[in-house]
Amino acid sequence: MKKKKIKAKIIVVSAIAIMLILVTVFADFFAPNDPYTTSASSIRLAPCLKYPFGTDNLGRCVLSRVLYGGRTTIAATFALVFISFAIGAIVGMLCGYYGGIFDKLLMRIADILLAFPQMVVAIVVAGILNGGLGGAMIALGITMWVSFARLSRSHTYSLKNQDFIKAALFAGKSDLYIIAVHIFPNILPPVLTNALTQIGTTMIGLSGLSFLGLGVVPPAAEWGSMISEARAYIQIAPWAVLYPALATVFTIIVFNYLGDVVMDYREA
Amino acid sequence: MTILEGKNLSKKFIDKDKEIAALSDISFTLEEGEILGIVGESGSGKSTLLKVISGLVVPDEGQLIFKGNEYNGQKARDTGRFLQYIFQNPLSSFDPRLSMEKSVLESGRGKKDLVRLYGILEEVGLNKELLQRKPSELSGGQCQRMSIARALYSGADILLCDEITSALDVSTQAQITKILHNLKDNGKLSAIFVSHDIALVRMLCDRVIVMKDGKCVEQGICEDLISNPHEEYTKKLVESAVRQSI
Repeated sequence: MKKKKIKAKIIVVSAIAIMLILVTVFADFFAPNDPYTTSASSIRLAPCLKYPFGTDNLGRCVLSRVLYGGRTTIAATFALVFISFAIGAIVGMLCGYYGGIFDKLLMRIADILLAFPQMVVAIVVAGILNGGLGGAMIALGITMWVSFARLSRSHTYSLKNQDFIKAALFAGKSDLYIIAVHIFPNILPPVLTNALTQIGTTMIGLSGLSFLGLGVVPPAAEWGSMISEARAYIQIAPWAVLYPALATVFTIIVFNYLGDVVMDYREA
Repeated sequence: MTILEGKNLSKKFIDKDKEIAALSDISFTLEEGEILGIVGESGSGKSTLLKVISGLVVPDEGQLIFKGNEYNGQKARDTGRFLQYIFQNPLSSFDPRLSMEKSVLESGRGKKDLVRLYGILEEVGLNKELLQRKPSELSGGQCQRMSIARALYSGADILLCDEITSALDVSTQAQITKILHNLKDNGKLSAIFVSHDIALVRMLCDRVIVMKDGKCVEQGICEDLISNPHEEYTKKLVESAVRQSI
């Protein structure tokens, strides 16, 4: 019964998440105006029929920029989470399966990376890399793979001692086969759940770096950079900050909640 | 004909800087078509001996010989060609995400012969429809019979049975014992059967080794040794088994 309820929640939240993704992917279709066209006659216009979310300091349509910015934020977040997941899972599985010096070395590197707050490391690295979306992704990715690696490693370590892995050894199966067929599918649910919960954090990280000028560079639309640009005139055009901020908060809540309910479902 | 031989096998483990002799100078032979029982209390080294024989654990000393060829140092991946391990917990010996068919066929080393597999399933009293199920959808007894089917399907000459009935209820234990009995009668089985259940060993095995603290206390023909034990430890084991059965 409890599981059924959680399943219903997962379906609803997944539907909202998919809608968010679709709206940003097809921003060209949904955006009422060009997000990059400036207009001296429409500077800081309050929300109206032509500009439902108003305009910014350069007369650009905030709704269109929010939609295009969502594409950048969500795509970059998914790409970063996927790359970190792939690197972390491979490293974790190899460490957990083989152990030895390779495992000790990588886990100590992971410990060192975890010793610093993720955002502090990201700011330093993004600063060294002179910002930009690629730089921001590398900066966040440097520490992000660690959580996937540690989780994959611990699950692999407990799995490799299971009897069915020994049975696969008696069947003459190679290490690569055992990792691909027996270990990876079995560690996938917990690591994937972790990936879902990381989406929100990564979005905050990317938007945060853009807000600080270390991520997406204007005029490119991105929620963090939009907030950063518009905060200078927040008192005269609060909508230019409000809508990208609301979009960020709403998207983060949706993906965090999705991660939570999936985790609840697994534990129920 | 001797199919498997172990000579002077020893294995030590280190636990908190303390050396523990899990096996000390154990020697044994297994004849073709024979079931060799290994009995002893928990911690007597029965399972370690089985792991050493199978290649899961490398012995510190001694020789392992299969059909006249030494196979010391070979890992499970290689020993699996001639011996198969049947584990105590049947559920954990199958990948929870794979169907039984995939898991069982895996032991065929790339050869897929469903007709042969169906024949084996019939021998162990299982319906072929169960192959489409996952381990969690089978009972403990069905899972253990599937383990036996997997071992037989591999074509291995020897089965290593590690307390294979201890996780099962009494009636299922009887079913598994009957299957092993039938396989033995049909001359299809050479096996080493580890158990702490002397009554079961008496029913199933031809010869028996009694182990204590990693050493062989005594060994001999099963019926003789159990009805007329020489060593005090064996007498105690037999007496406790009799008391339990009462």
